[in-house]
Amino acid sequence: MEQKKGKSLATKISLWVVLFAGLIFISAHLVFFNESRLAVQNEAINHATQVLENTTERVNTILTEVKVATDNTDWLITRHLDGPDSMFVYTRRILQNNPFLHGCAISFEPNYFKSKGLYFSAYSYNDEGRIITRQEGSEHYQYFSMDWYQLPKLLDAPCWTEPFMYTNPGESSSNMIISYCKPIKDRDSVFIGTISVDLSLEWLSSTIESVKPYPNSYSIMIGKGGTFFVHPDTTKLFYQTIFTPTLIKADTALTNLGHAMQAGEEGVRQLTVEGKDSYVLYRPLGDTGWSVGLVCPAADIFGGYFRLINSIIGIVVVGLLLMLMIFSSIISKQLEPLEELTYQAETIASGRFDEEIPESKHNDEIGKLNESFRYMQQSIIKQIDEIKHINEQKGRIQGELKIASDIQMSMLPKIFPPYPERDDVDVFGQLTPAKEVGGDLFDFFIRDEKLFFCIGDVSGKGVPASLYMVVTKALFRTIAAHEASPDKIIANLNETMARDNDSNMFVTIFVGVLDLPTGRLHYCNAGHDAPVLIGNIGAGMLPVDSNLPAGVMPDWEFSRQETLIDPGTTIFLYTDGLTEAENINHAQFEMTRLEDMAHKLQASHIFEPTKVIEAMVDAVHTFVGEADQSDDLTMLAIQYTKQQKDIVYQRSLTLTNDLKRVPRLNEFIDDVSEANGFDMATIMQINLAIEEAVVNVMNYAYPEGTKGDITIEAKSNGTEMIFIISDTGKPFDPTAKPEVDITKSAEDRAIGGLGIHLIRQIMDRINYERIDGHNILTLIKKLSK
Amino acid sequence: MEVKINTKDSVTTAQLIGRLDTPASQEISGDFDNLMQYAAGTVILDCTELEYISSSGLRLFLSLRKAAASKGGNVIVKAINKDIRSVFMMTGFLNLFEIQD
Repeated sequence: MEQKKGKSLATKISLWVVLFAGLIFISAHLVFFNESRLAVQNEAINHATQVLENTTERVNTILTEVKVATDNTDWLITRHLDGPDSMFVYTRRILQNNPFLHGCAISFEPNYFKSKGLYFSAYSYNDEGRIITRQEGSEHYQYFSMDWYQLPKLLDAPCWTEPFMYTNPGESSSNMIISYCKPIKDRDSVFIGTISVDLSLEWLSSTIESVKPYPNSYSIMIGKGGTFFVHPDTTKLFYQTIFTPTLIKADTALTNLGHAMQAGEEGVRQLTVEGKDSYVLYRPLGDTGWSVGLVCPAADIFGGYFRLINSIIGIVVVGLLLMLMIFSSIISKQLEPLEELTYQAETIASGRFDEEIPESKHNDEIGKLNESFRYMQQSIIKQIDEIKHINEQKGRIQGELKIASDIQMSMLPKIFPPYPERDDVDVFGQLTPAKEVGGDLFDFFIRDEKLFFCIGDVSGKGVPASLYMVVTKALFRTIAAHEASPDKIIANLNETMARDNDSNMFVTIFVGVLDLPTGRLHYCNAGHDAPVLIGNIGAGMLPVDSNLPAGVMPDWEFSRQETLIDPGTTIFLYTDGLTEAENINHAQFEMTRLEDMAHKLQASHIFEPTKVIEAMVDAVHTFVGEADQSDDLTMLAIQYTKQQKDIVYQRSLTLTNDLKRVPRLNEFIDDVSEANGFDMATIMQINLAIEEAVVNVMNYAYPEGTKGDITIEAKSNGTEMIFIISDTGKPFDPTAKPEVDITKSAEDRAIGGLGIHLIRQIMDRINYERIDGHNILTLIKKLSK
Repeated sequence: MEVKINTKDSVTTAQLIGRLDTPASQEISGDFDNLMQYAAGTVILDCTELEYISSSGLRLFLSLRKAAASKGGNVIVKAINKDIRSVFMMTGFLNLFEIQD
């Protein structure tokens, strides 16, 4: 795997370099090839033109020589017409002077020389260096009708014949001949015969063909009609014209070339000749009306050029391949340490950090990378150690927080229903902390037929808030154990907390004291959210005074409020974790939703504490959705469920505050207790409890010297006996007395406090209320059946 | 309510007869003041004929017990009936006094 990575990078880089180099080579060579091709072409054309010019020049020279030789002989003939035999000499002399000529004839009109008869044509010809001379005309060779005789005669001017076949007498081989013919005239300018000089076409051909600028180039010569006079393919001679191939297949280029040559033009054309791309240079041949062409195949012209290109391409390709291999190998070698690093990276990734990375011998970037890698490895080892350490610490803190959370939660009331034996009150509460530990609290307990309850929210969150919460709750319990007035409970709390409050923490708290026999609720609110009442007659907020939260300012006067709770009504208390619960859009649940919910519950007659809280929890969960809980959420619901039972027995006694009236009280109690079926021992105890209560009133509500009445009302509802002791003395709450410790030794025991202790011991329930200037103490004893 | 006090050697016996309710406690507080002088010795509170006791009565008992404790004496509560025993139990007095049948 690692091997592959190194190789592929090396190959990639090499390929890119080679590709780039290749592109540069190709571009440079394209320009070079193009330019050199033009140069080669121009050079080739120049060269061929030169050759063609030379050739035609040579041919023209010959032709001119032919003419000159003819013209030089011309005048001799006219002067020596008297001696016909001298004509043989002249023909012979022409051949001797111009060895390249094939033959020469001086021919006369029939019967021009009487002595010679009908035919006289002096003729010499060159038979491989030997000049043979003879008279040629005869019945078998009636030269008068020949082209070479007729043309000058008809044209009355010298001219060249088209090639024709001529066989010398007595020879088997024949020659293609062209002749220059000129009319001979006497002194009266009367045509008397012709002089004709023959050139062997074969010789002309070899002259023309002997010049080959390129190995496969060849020369052609066409006559006026386009017939081939010279062509390397002898089968084409005389039988085919330059236009013959166009009969089989139309070829405009060839046709145009033919026409141009016929018209005696001079030039160069590129066209396909016999299937080969060729350059054809053409040029007229003197005044003969013939045209010479030089056909040069492009392959020949550019042969060297193509060879050059091929060699260059070959060199470039081989060079690039070598470059690719060398680069690839060099880069591979250079990248080898990277493979090692890759292996090390995978080792680290797999969680093994202790494998040592060797030091690099390189001084370049890869060497530096290696060093960085070594440093990184060491750094990671260090970091991981730190993270481990932090995690251990975090785990320990988490564990401790969990324990703290458990402790905190265990401090809250958690047994529901808390008072299954009671029919006058039902309570349900729950606290959901946002963090492990929170600053919310709630608590409740019943003392002397009063339900003391509180709900609070400590400022801040986390551990500091939780510590403060614990303190608050403990203080609430301690203070409420002997203080039944909620404003005083909070004032007490406030004094303790505001003192030495270095951390400036405070708690918003609502404290309520619900008098269970009467449904009277005393409450004090220290900056907390107003509770909501949900009952048969409606739903709404409980009006609360605006007091400072507890712990803010010592000596703050907390105001007490009171209201009467109808049986069936539920007091719903909560912390701002409910009203300020946020959904993912950061909208809050708010008071309006809570009130809506309260009205819905009211409309459905749902007042049971568990159901009320369940409905609220559902509502807030639905609202919050996926969002995280941002604050502690605490709810407490208290339903006052007192059912007024029918009174089946009722008696009362009013006494003055005189201790001497106690025996009368005892009589009354004896009567009432006996009437309600209590046994003797219980009657004695009830007597003791009531006496203690009444004596307390006489001693404390009515200070010495004051007069007043004490009314003792005894009634039964069939299940319990209720004694209500009321007076109009000064406020006196016996339930607020601290409990005596009956385990102390005689020396340490206080003398007082035994009365209220006995009342509590004897009676099942005790309750004190101060209503409309009356101290009202209610003592309840269950009937014994 | 009647209190009969007999002293023989270092042992003083106080016979409590009747109901020791709150007014009775006030009535006999003088008797208990007398008893205090014997608190260095042994004081026996004979409750055979005591029918009832309230917290003020208990306070008298406790005061005597405190005086005895400070003087090195001893207070014995004798023959309390079932009802009074239950009151003693409720108030922890069973542990404060030596109880004799």
